[in-house]
Amino acid sequence: MSTSGSTILDSDLHGIAVSPGIAIGPAYMYARVSFNVERRILEPEVVEEEYERFERAIKRAERDLHKIIAVTREKLGEDSATIFEAQLLMLRDHSLYPEVQAYIKNHNVNAGYAVQTVMSKHRQMMEASDSEYLRERANDLLDIQERIIRHLRRARVLSAIDEKTIVIAESLTAADVILFSRRGVLGCATEFGGPTSHVSIMARALSLPALVSMKDVSNQVENGDIVILDGIKGELIVNPDAKTLKRYKTKQRRYLRLIQEDKSLVPLPAETLDGHHISLQANLELREEIEQLSEYGAEGVGLFRTEMLLLMEGRALVTEEEQFAQYKDVVEASSPGPTTFRILDLGGDKMLPMAHREHNPFLGWRGIRIMLDKLDLLVPQLRAILRASANGPTKILLPMVSALEEVREFKVVLAKTMAELSEEGIAYDPNVPVGIMVEVPSVAISADQFAAEVDFFSIGTNDLTQYVLAVDRGNDLVAHLYNEMHPAVLQLISMTTEAAKKAGISVSLCGELATNMRAVPVLLGLGVDTLSASPIYLPAIKRVIRAMKQSEGQALAQKALVASDAGEFRDMMDRWLEEHACGVSFFLEGAGLA
Amino acid sequence: MIEKEVIVTNRAGLHTRPASMIVRAASQFKSEFYIHKDGYEINGKSIIGVMTLAAEQGATLMLQFDGEDEHEAFDALAALFKDGFGEVI
Repeated sequence: MSTSGSTILDSDLHGIAVSPGIAIGPAYMYARVSFNVERRILEPEVVEEEYERFERAIKRAERDLHKIIAVTREKLGEDSATIFEAQLLMLRDHSLYPEVQAYIKNHNVNAGYAVQTVMSKHRQMMEASDSEYLRERANDLLDIQERIIRHLRRARVLSAIDEKTIVIAESLTAADVILFSRRGVLGCATEFGGPTSHVSIMARALSLPALVSMKDVSNQVENGDIVILDGIKGELIVNPDAKTLKRYKTKQRRYLRLIQEDKSLVPLPAETLDGHHISLQANLELREEIEQLSEYGAEGVGLFRTEMLLLMEGRALVTEEEQFAQYKDVVEASSPGPTTFRILDLGGDKMLPMAHREHNPFLGWRGIRIMLDKLDLLVPQLRAILRASANGPTKILLPMVSALEEVREFKVVLAKTMAELSEEGIAYDPNVPVGIMVEVPSVAISADQFAAEVDFFSIGTNDLTQYVLAVDRGNDLVAHLYNEMHPAVLQLISMTTEAAKKAGISVSLCGELATNMRAVPVLLGLGVDTLSASPIYLPAIKRVIRAMKQSEGQALAQKALVASDAGEFRDMMDRWLEEHACGVSFFLEGAGLA
Repeated sequence: MIEKEVIVTNRAGLHTRPASMIVRAASQFKSEFYIHKDGYEINGKSIIGVMTLAAEQGATLMLQFDGEDEHEAFDALAALFKDGFGEVI
């Protein structure tokens, strides 16, 4: 994408937009590196006062954590809150509170220094571990140490951050995002993280514009620099000139207006001018997000990612019961629309905290390959999904399928699981549709064969693109070659829809491409019948659908399939959108979020 | 007083979350609770203490309970270890 008009090329930084919106303001560099606390010797008579100072800091830290736990529980679920509950437990731990008091008293030093010394001692013991993972967990002790020290020096930290700033950091936690949002921060940008990480989900839940995967951003921006955070295109513009600033202020106003207008589209059907209906569905990852289905007018859940169940440091929600409770709520909220549960998709870039490190994880043990090897994970999940299927339309989606044998092997497990449920007298839908992700090129190429054995296809464009083009878009040296609208990618999508049509099965698309407004008409033209995306994007997608004819989509698709110049085609689509879909092109180009 | 050995079975070892599960469970009982590992002893009702054990998968720990409900306490804690703290990967 071009530089959007800024005169200094180098000052535009690119990342992945994970929560839409436009924020303009001074940068605040949020460093998690420990403040080194100075040692102050206290007069013996003020030691009592220092105890009280310490107690007040602990109390404030407790208040903070209670808030964080409440918001985390509401937005991300109970499981995600447990790490903060553990932190709460640490504040008055035998190994912290009395030890710090004793250190203050025995050495006549300030509380901050005492906290730092006591916690460093504990940390060192963990850092001596042979296990890399346990060494990393020493960070949890560092977190709590810094939290207390921050509260001991409360005044300074708060005044620095409570202005209307844009926070720039190497990485943030969901807790940071909650506290920033409460202090009126306008947006945040981090070097690490992906669209489905905790921080991103929290930013979306709190409507805080956010960018992640901003390589090196903390070295490119200085405290107090004026920055424009474009949470639609995924750009950060540092120290813009007056003209750029003015343009973005206009853009910000128009964006807010468009959001308002989009609300009016929610009750309307996603239908083309020539009466062709497209099903718009939601990508969800948490039960807590189900309110968004009606808020943004989703007709169902096109993709329920179950990896979030595994968020807490390698703990899977193992029990069938815990999974069932979540799945049932989602199915009921989505009904009469369908809910599509994707079987646990671990590996690749998805957190698999304890897995052995692989040299090439994207070509390794991931998705269905893991699940067929680990029936102790697969069977409880299947049972939970099947039981939920008694409460409303439910579909099962297999990730990372590359061969027909995997589908057949899965079906054997499914049949056996169904038989067990029947024997136990437990209700389920015996005709639950089983579909597969089309993300490995082999599936698209042999789509005819797969279509004969599955009930639906769901195209995952992010992985499909990187596998077809052999491009890791996280690699700066080749990222420019990553193009989800490459004719070869579109050709594979076309082969998939053709095969589906012949077999009479449905094709949905649940990758980032669905949120790229330039792609929407083309995808309709290629015969995709369901688009599934983060709910917040659905009204804009609907706006494009309602402004076009299916026949126009087909004509555009024919051009896209032979487009030999990506830039030219993009310009053409921009003109088309500008003419047809009143303003959408200006705002929603290639938002990086599925 | 009772002393019994347990083995850390979950792959991740006793990191933050299992440590908090241990402390929460132990705090329900009146008995004093200590954990010994390689000649090192910590208070089993201290989450930071449990974390500093840095006990990896396969590590052997000696659980020591002393008090009126020591048997119930041991059963509750042993069950957590056996279950691998609900971690499967």
